[in-house]
Amino acid sequence: MLLTSVIIILREFLEAALIISVLLALGENLSTSRRWVRRGIGIGLAGAVAYAASTATVSDWFDGVGQEIVNALIQIVIFACLTLIAVLVNKRGDRTDGCERSIMLLMSASIGLAITREGSEILIYLSGFVSNWELFAPILLGGMIGAGIGTSVGALAYYVLISTNRSWSPLISTAVIILVAAGMGSQAVSLLIQADWLPSQLPLWDTSGWISEGSVTGQLLYALVGYEATPSSLQVAAHLAGVLLPVVLIILFRQYSNADS
Amino acid sequence: MPATAKAPEFEIEIRNHLFEPSEIIVPANTKIKLIVYNRDSTPEEFESYELNREKVIMGGRKAVIFIGPLQPGEYPFFGEFNPKTALGTITAR
Repeated sequence: MLLTSVIIILREFLEAALIISVLLALGENLSTSRRWVRRGIGIGLAGAVAYAASTATVSDWFDGVGQEIVNALIQIVIFACLTLIAVLVNKRGDRTDGCERSIMLLMSASIGLAITREGSEILIYLSGFVSNWELFAPILLGGMIGAGIGTSVGALAYYVLISTNRSWSPLISTAVIILVAAGMGSQAVSLLIQADWLPSQLPLWDTSGWISEGSVTGQLLYALVGYEATPSSLQVAAHLAGVLLPVVLIILFRQYSNADS
Repeated sequence: MPATAKAPEFEIEIRNHLFEPSEIIVPANTKIKLIVYNRDSTPEEFESYELNREKVIMGGRKAVIFIGPLQPGEYPFFGEFNPKTALGTITAR
């Protein structure tokens, strides 16, 4: 039981922790305070409680696939927020106050939504054991270990990102943000396939022989870039589009602001 | 909308953190609709890396999960919240 809870909590913690650390690293280049982190975490915790409490109801929506639809929607909004952040942060010239405020708002929203999604699963998992203290104690302990490891990996990612060469740091952070966002996009597509809202197809390839999704590397890659060993062509297309869209937008915006000045 | 109504349906129950039946045989290269009834009072998460599926099922509730089309083979699944006991396999033939 202990090991199970370590793994479950770690998995959910990793995704949220990685988003927070990448955004924190990106925020280093902004002149603003870090109030947005606390706000995002606050929104996320409240959201997680609310979502966990209503999961039974949500599941019944849309002929029993409400969970997939709502989760896909959350992932798509996170994707949109992260893409906009990547574009705004890489805009040429001086950032106005309004622009910085928008970035902070988008960062709070991304963190809030990520914690809502991952946090609600943790709460649902824990809720199954609260009535049985003999089981709950080791599960809580395992959960704390998982949370500790997840937070440490997040902190490590943050320090790696900020300790890279000053001129490279924004570029690397942007690249990581784009990869994380694209992973969110392809996970949303995967959920819509599971709900039968998008057509299902046979997998395009199978890399489970190299990196199994259940392995530590597979889990890390899943949390970071939405790795799947047997993706369908639609998921691959969504992933590529998710990488290309922000890159094209960043280039367009930079050219536009170049012509402007 | 895809032709949901045509997908053949299969049902599984969760009882005392076990899947019943724990092995089901489904047609290969066909999309199927899996309905999982959670008869326990505690939540469970249906999960399968091989099927690319993951879904929370609250206690006393049911979940609809569309699966496949699958190439012939065996696809293990498990209950993430009770991974030692809640184990099963979908065989596509």
